[in-house]
Amino acid sequence: MSLQGEGFCDHCLLPLGRRPLQRMLNGTERSFCCYGCCIAYQVREGRGEDAEAAWLLIRLGVAAFLSMNIMLVSLFLYMGVFSGADARLLPWVHGLLFAFATPAVVLLGQPFLQETVQHAAAGRLNSSSLVVVGVASAYFYSVFAMFNGAHVYFDTASMVLLLFTLGRYLEAAGRARASRDLEPLLAAESEIATVVLDGVETRRSVRDVMPGMLVRVLPGDRIPVDGVISEGESNVDESVITGESRSVHKAPGTPVIAGSVNFDGPLLIRSSGAGSNTRWARICRSVRDALSHRSPTQRIADRVVAISVPIVLALSGLTAVYWAQSQPIDQALLIGLAVLVVACPCAVGLAAPLATTLGIGRLARCGCLVRDPGVLEALAGLRCVAFDKTGTLTVGRPTVVDIERDGVETEDVLARASGLEQYSEHALARAVTAAAKLRGIRPAPAQDIRIVPGRGILGTFGGEPMAAGNELLMSDLGWPLSSHLRARACAIEADGHSLIDVGWGGRVQALLSLDDTPRPEASAAVAGLESRGMHLVLLTGDLQEPARRIAAVVGIGQVEARLSPEAKRQVLHRLRKERAAVAMVGDGLNDGPVLADADVGIAVGSATALARETAALVLPDGGLWMLPWVVDVARAVRRTILTNLLWAFGYNLIALTAAALGFLQPILAAAVMAGSSVLVVMNSMRLQQLPDPDPSEIAGRQAQAFHQEPSPNTSAVKAEYQPTA
Amino acid sequence: MTPYLVLFAAGFAGSFHCIGMCGGFACALGRDGRGQGGTVLRHLLYNTGRLTTYCFLGALAGAFGQMICTSADFSATLPLAEPIDFAQRALAIVAGLLMIMIALQFFGLLGTLHRLTAGLGGSLFAATLRKVLNVPGHATPLAFGVFNGFLPCPLVYAFLAQAASTAGAVSGFLTMAAFGLGTFPAMLMMGGIGGVLGPVWRRRGVWLAGSFILLLGLTTLGRGVLPAGMLHGDHLL
Repeated sequence: MSLQGEGFCDHCLLPLGRRPLQRMLNGTERSFCCYGCCIAYQVREGRGEDAEAAWLLIRLGVAAFLSMNIMLVSLFLYMGVFSGADARLLPWVHGLLFAFATPAVVLLGQPFLQETVQHAAAGRLNSSSLVVVGVASAYFYSVFAMFNGAHVYFDTASMVLLLFTLGRYLEAAGRARASRDLEPLLAAESEIATVVLDGVETRRSVRDVMPGMLVRVLPGDRIPVDGVISEGESNVDESVITGESRSVHKAPGTPVIAGSVNFDGPLLIRSSGAGSNTRWARICRSVRDALSHRSPTQRIADRVVAISVPIVLALSGLTAVYWAQSQPIDQALLIGLAVLVVACPCAVGLAAPLATTLGIGRLARCGCLVRDPGVLEALAGLRCVAFDKTGTLTVGRPTVVDIERDGVETEDVLARASGLEQYSEHALARAVTAAAKLRGIRPAPAQDIRIVPGRGILGTFGGEPMAAGNELLMSDLGWPLSSHLRARACAIEADGHSLIDVGWGGRVQALLSLDDTPRPEASAAVAGLESRGMHLVLLTGDLQEPARRIAAVVGIGQVEARLSPEAKRQVLHRLRKERAAVAMVGDGLNDGPVLADADVGIAVGSATALARETAALVLPDGGLWMLPWVVDVARAVRRTILTNLLWAFGYNLIALTAAALGFLQPILAAAVMAGSSVLVVMNSMRLQQLPDPDPSEIAGRQAQAFHQEPSPNTSAVKAEYQPTA
Repeated sequence: MTPYLVLFAAGFAGSFHCIGMCGGFACALGRDGRGQGGTVLRHLLYNTGRLTTYCFLGALAGAFGQMICTSADFSATLPLAEPIDFAQRALAIVAGLLMIMIALQFFGLLGTLHRLTAGLGGSLFAATLRKVLNVPGHATPLAFGVFNGFLPCPLVYAFLAQAASTAGAVSGFLTMAAFGLGTFPAMLMMGGIGGVLGPVWRRRGVWLAGSFILLLGLTTLGRGVLPAGMLHGDHLL
């Protein structure tokens, strides 16, 4: 306490006194001399939209009190209560109205005035200036009228401001709700970690956490760093990163991801990397980037707002002048004011950003990251999607898909082959051991292992020599193939599969056919996209035959094989000519340039692609099945923006006509405008009710595959050895 | 003047219902750090804010009633005047029925309406009120009272129906002003002494409020249904 007593308030720079108020704001600890300073600071500096809302509320409450009183007193004025004998009271009543209206106008008008001044300094006119001009004219006319004993319009001045502020409050509340969705994603930079150093706990910013440090995480808190659990046991929710909303059990030795929420027990975590370099922190930066960009529609809307303000000002002036020829001056001014108020293009400016933010937040919560709000709009209008094959539609590593035998048992083949191949690190060798393991077959204890580079492996089992490798190895050994196996080998190689010959007893006994298998979720994603009217193309550098087979399995019609990266880009250009816009889906690792070249580059499971700015949309690992849902969200966002714009423009146009013809009172016009903004917010809020991506279909497929795997049905010719994703 | 006295009494009785919900807010507003005077000022500001909202809503409801009964005499600012034409009768019938329904709900005889009234934007208001409560200063209780007045509440709805049936902005305002002033004593007391009142008394208060609303509802309905002369004599309502 004594230390803090010497500090200064972060807002007003006065000494803090004995009881300073401390708050964590944007990752740094701030001290304030009073709550008022804290709020003011947050309103001025804070990103927290909650603070903005609270401050607006107090203003709104007090101003509503004043305005409602003004309204009630004005009601008596309109009723003619102060006519006749009571007319001598009239100046006093006007004075009372003035006394109420002045603080109300100051309280409510200050933010509008401030905005106008800011924009005017930059040489622009924005919609706030319409409100300021309108209210100021009503207020100053009324002050003038007060001294001349004419009718006053303080009620108009204060009610217009009140209704506009009310609209702003509802807007702020909507924005706050939108940002709450994003909050866990944006929290990474401001997160505080409890670091345990030599048994002493200190709290420090996650940016200052170095690899190897011990971090304590209490139940209910977010895990701030990537690392390995060194003490404690708990269930955590990793949905921010993986998109899967279920609790995962963690025990000492298991890795944890930054951003996941610790549910049950306290954990002590040894950090495995710098706190600012976690996937969570990268996601956080990318979401923040995305939110700071403006989408093309938004830029158009902004331009419309910018040019409409001077037009509206001129229009309202002309309207007032026109009506002044036939009406008393105060009536003409009122009509001009109504035009000014009703043409305020607030709703137009609000139409796109809220919907986009909600959409980005919705996607981010399921682990899908968007780099630019424009991507959502591009995705919504998409009619053609090109897929990379290896690693995107397929698992990206070979698996045993077929076993050709010559009168021997499959178990025997796999046991011997894996007994040899377990000593090799080759991708094909690993596929063989994985296939044996999946079927619960123990590798045969081979001896005298000898690896022949470029050929295969030799060894003995029970004193009998055996070998696994390619045809060259077998011909070196002089082991023959039966005519049946030779024919199969030709067929398999023609299909583009890889081949392992397994031999013992002086001849080749079996052939293992290996291939890259499609991801279990690929066909669901393809079917989902096709049902949404997309034309799908497979682009690959691979041979025609395997590409065609994968395409047939997942259901893609058009195949372009044997493409160099440069040729892929040419195909993309051609597709773009035919179909307007093309998205490219890849793994983001080796197809970066192609992804960057597409209208929408989509990377699956690689946040590094996002960092390198090659992909505009990144799906989580194994998240290909979410792509149709992402398209749905993008389309919903676009639909919302369009309906918002249509509504805002239509409403403005109709109301403007009514106001110019003198049918709309300024107060009613302000209510109409506030209502318009609220409707835009409500329409955008409907995006929150979008259904979550439905993993049931893909889960069903996986369960099916799982049931097939353990069955020892050795007669199955085409064995599916799909590793569980 | 008599009808307003009745409304005031109804408001007073009804405020025992308020203690259930808004009393909680009054308590949450709590005491002022600067002593007894500060506390009283705090709660006076809070209740003034509430009253202002009620009056404003009353005037709006009255103006709405007036809009419906366009043929009603503009200068007849005297409230609860005898029915003039069909529109006013219809309005009286609707308002009367609404009030009777609310009264029945007070007696615990009608359950569904409660859910209906509580669901109207309740969550937004709750969030709003929570935010405001945390901020110190004289503006807070006033702002808080203003928002409190907008809280969905069957009692307020009943009197707003009454205000609308008067078919005049000024008479609507006066109706709600009388009702709002009636709720003053109990709510002020609530801020000062907290939950002194036992649950038995509170239940009696709720029954009393229900009876008043039922009486008001029946007379309002009567104005719509009965021939013009019948309620003329008593001039009670």
